[in-house]
Amino acid sequence: MTELAQRQAAFLGAILDDEAPLPTGWGAERAPGMAIYRNNYRTSLVEALRSTFERTGRLVGEEAFRRAAAHHCIMHPPRSWTLDLVGKGFPETCTELFPHDPDVAELAALEWAMHEAFVARNTKPLTTAGFGEACAKFTEGDWEALTLTLVPDLRVVGASHDLVRLWSSLAADRAKPDMVPCGEAQCAIVWREGERPVFVLRPAWEGAALDAFQRGATFGAVCAALIETLGEEAAIAEAGAMLARWVGEGLVDKLAQGAEASPAIPPLSPSLPDSSLSVR
Amino acid sequence: MNAIIPFRGFGLGLRRTHYADFLEGDVDVDFVEVISENYMVEGGKPLRVLEQVREKHAVILHGVSLSIGSAQGLDGGYLDRLRTLTNRIDPLWVSDHLCWTRTGAHNSHDLLPLPLTAEALDVVCANIDRAQEALARPMLFENPSSYLTFPEDEMAEWEFLSEMVRRTGCYLLLDVNNVYVSAHNHGFSPSDYIAGLPLDRVRQIHLAGHEPGDIIIDTHDREVSEGVWQLYAETVRKLGPVATMIERDDKIPPLADLLAEINRACSLANSVTGTLAA
Repeated sequence: MTELAQRQAAFLGAILDDEAPLPTGWGAERAPGMAIYRNNYRTSLVEALRSTFERTGRLVGEEAFRRAAAHHCIMHPPRSWTLDLVGKGFPETCTELFPHDPDVAELAALEWAMHEAFVARNTKPLTTAGFGEACAKFTEGDWEALTLTLVPDLRVVGASHDLVRLWSSLAADRAKPDMVPCGEAQCAIVWREGERPVFVLRPAWEGAALDAFQRGATFGAVCAALIETLGEEAAIAEAGAMLARWVGEGLVDKLAQGAEASPAIPPLSPSLPDSSLSVR
Repeated sequence: MNAIIPFRGFGLGLRRTHYADFLEGDVDVDFVEVISENYMVEGGKPLRVLEQVREKHAVILHGVSLSIGSAQGLDGGYLDRLRTLTNRIDPLWVSDHLCWTRTGAHNSHDLLPLPLTAEALDVVCANIDRAQEALARPMLFENPSSYLTFPEDEMAEWEFLSEMVRRTGCYLLLDVNNVYVSAHNHGFSPSDYIAGLPLDRVRQIHLAGHEPGDIIIDTHDREVSEGVWQLYAETVRKLGPVATMIERDDKIPPLADLLAEINRACSLANSVTGTLAA
């Protein structure tokens, strides 16, 4: 390590850790200056987290959020050049710090997904007309082997609480959070509609199906997993409706014919479809 | 490498609060400066807004994360993204700071000071060479504000900057507020600092507000102080007309307040440079 590299490592070490001694050879007269750099570091990271996780901050309150943000920055000092990624892993930090309030981590995960979707790559998703045209001459085998490329802004977040109500209730400062547990496992599906991130609440099995397609599963394999979860009759009805819904919402970028061996699909939630709620 | 032709206008930083003003109105500025990193993204609204603003105004890309003083060298991924944005926007120029922000392990997201040593100068010059080669254009580097100096310093900051310019062919973004802040914090004469720079290489001036105190802090959260206006007048008298902008990053006021400040800069520059500004 060069001399400059050693000095920079010592300097940054002293910024990251308030208790760290000043670098070797520094007199006490440099302590006030170092205190400013330490404060700048903490403040910029906490403010970046506050900006990304605005509603999570309202849910837990100012002081608890500040402590959680500071803890996150100490445990996960930033590595990327962009402040936009400082919040990566913050939902997991919330899981650790609020173990009895799963809604906190779920809301943080939703805000993180919305944050990522905001600047995801632009695409022109498949339209319903385009989908109909592409599938017009599909054989049964073509449907079996169908794979989907989903839009790059798509994210799926698990939900044990009604995130639609919670999200809406926290839109303003000093709002009272509206927390209602979901009767069955749900998920929030997040994407960008034009330039605006949006989400809908759907049964968890739909999120699992999206995840399977994102990993390259074929429509045939997803249908087989749905039959195991919902039973044959419901699965047949739901599979087609689900695909049409995704295309209508602009979640599908492209269609393709997949490889013969579809990746294994994890168990889907046994919950039945419920009415979908949307925040747009 | 192409020279950067002087651009003698007055501009503002483009901040989210003022997006609608710039998109829907006819804001009377000669250029806007944007924080490069805010637009080094894959897609979405920020890039669309920047491209629309670019249709009306000249744009300067001003970065905060190049980390030109990092002993570990530059981040290739960062450079790729900056090059992509530069090619997309075709800015007047691309600038960053004489500072470092990261080690190989972590990023401070702050503009940290460099020891003013021959070793640091070698590192900075090698990094500038690489950045300018990657962007295929010369860059501007801004003098930093700082809150401490290093026991191992071997030269004054203006000497460091002068040698950096001589060796790399880069240009300077002279932040007059930063000179004022560092001069107070480290006890040197701001006039000596300005006089020691290769002024023919200055292509832009920043003006901003600071928080007074025993140590002055470069906060960009208030209007430009009278002391900085005086130093600006002294600088422009030596330098002649040069692209000037108001930097505001916190407690951002209505656009009209910033336009009033930039108009003051314009009037001041005209009054001290006389016919030069015509």
